[in-house]
Amino acid sequence: MRNSEPESPVSSISGRLSAADADAPITRLFESMRPDLLRFAHWLARDRAIAEDIVQEALLRAWRSRDALKDPSAARPWLLTIVRREHARLYERKRLELVSLDEVVETHASPGYAEPGGELFELRHAIMRLPIEYREPLVLQVLGGFSTEEIARELALSATAVLTRLFRARNKLRVICGLTPAADVPARESPP
Amino acid sequence: MTCDEARLLIGADPGASTPALEEHLATCAACARFRDEMRSLDTDIRRALERPPDVARPRSGRQPLPWRQWALAASVVLATFAVLAVWLLRPSDTLAREVVAHVQAEPQSWLATQHVSAQGITQALRGAGVALDLTSDQIMYAQSCWFRGHYVPHLVVQTARGPATVLILRHEQVRARRTFQEAGMTGVIVPAEQGSIAVLARGAGDLDGLAGQMQHDVHWLPDAH
Repeated sequence: MRNSEPESPVSSISGRLSAADADAPITRLFESMRPDLLRFAHWLARDRAIAEDIVQEALLRAWRSRDALKDPSAARPWLLTIVRREHARLYERKRLELVSLDEVVETHASPGYAEPGGELFELRHAIMRLPIEYREPLVLQVLGGFSTEEIARELALSATAVLTRLFRARNKLRVICGLTPAADVPARESPP
Repeated sequence: MTCDEARLLIGADPGASTPALEEHLATCAACARFRDEMRSLDTDIRRALERPPDVARPRSGRQPLPWRQWALAASVVLATFAVLAVWLLRPSDTLAREVVAHVQAEPQSWLATQHVSAQGITQALRGAGVALDLTSDQIMYAQSCWFRGHYVPHLVVQTARGPATVLILRHEQVRARRTFQEAGMTGVIVPAEQGSIAVLARGAGDLDGLAGQMQHDVHWLPDAH
């Protein structure tokens, strides 16, 4: 289905950038955000191949719904939301094999990031090990720039529940950095 | 506000500031220290997240199927052509758009109310191959951000007209001064001795003064990559 989609924004990038194509600006806009979307999906899925599938599918959905994007400056949060939903959909429907982080190795070593003992090595692995209910709002907030209220809407949670999850995510990461964890807060997970 | 309430707010968003929280922090040294720690941690979290996880499954003993190797090679070639096509055909305003998108992704940068320590500035400049003449009391926010494949200093400088964002783009060449307006921000990208410097402010405004100052105050260190 994907390859036969004649309007796909990803099936033929160079062809899509022809001057005659009235949709070229929106295609370029989407493509310019692909690295951000991939990075976002990667932190959610923790698997490069799955992240690429998610972004591919999300861009297709975005392309089909491109008329709904009235303001190009809002494209980034709009696309990130589609990616997040695609990630959730993929896991809910296909029940993908979970990636065991104990079996995962880090590749493409770069100083301070991927080398064992590097400055952020432990922190990056700690973020990867965070349960999805903590990792997802953290990534939405830090990478996506979403506010607490926006995250609450997206995850169908109360704002208080989002605050609690963000607090707990960072509190877990404090320990990795050798800091004393703060006292936990009561769980408040009621929907909005 | 109690200490538990303050720590919940700080832990959920270390960059956030409310009158009630500030009032509490003014009288509670422990919570103030907690916020300093969390802001420092958040800087590292942001840096950690700015690169993809780069994880892969460990190699098993099974040999990959030959067609998969050919498919992989073909994919790499196609991807290379695709990237090259996008690179060659991308519009001239892509840099400005990505600068705006980057600044939009760090909304908390505009909210900083305290100047960055000299150590914080040094960390933000680390690896960028630049030095600054600006004094630390002018800089309200300083991060080393992953942008277009390189770490670049992302600063928020306090000016008489309010905060302005500065990105020092050693690896981005522009031929001439370029202004832009997008997403409620006004910006200018100016060529520099090496690379370029982007200056943005919220709303309308004349940024040429600050851009000129940055061209003068940024020193490009030799042998940096």
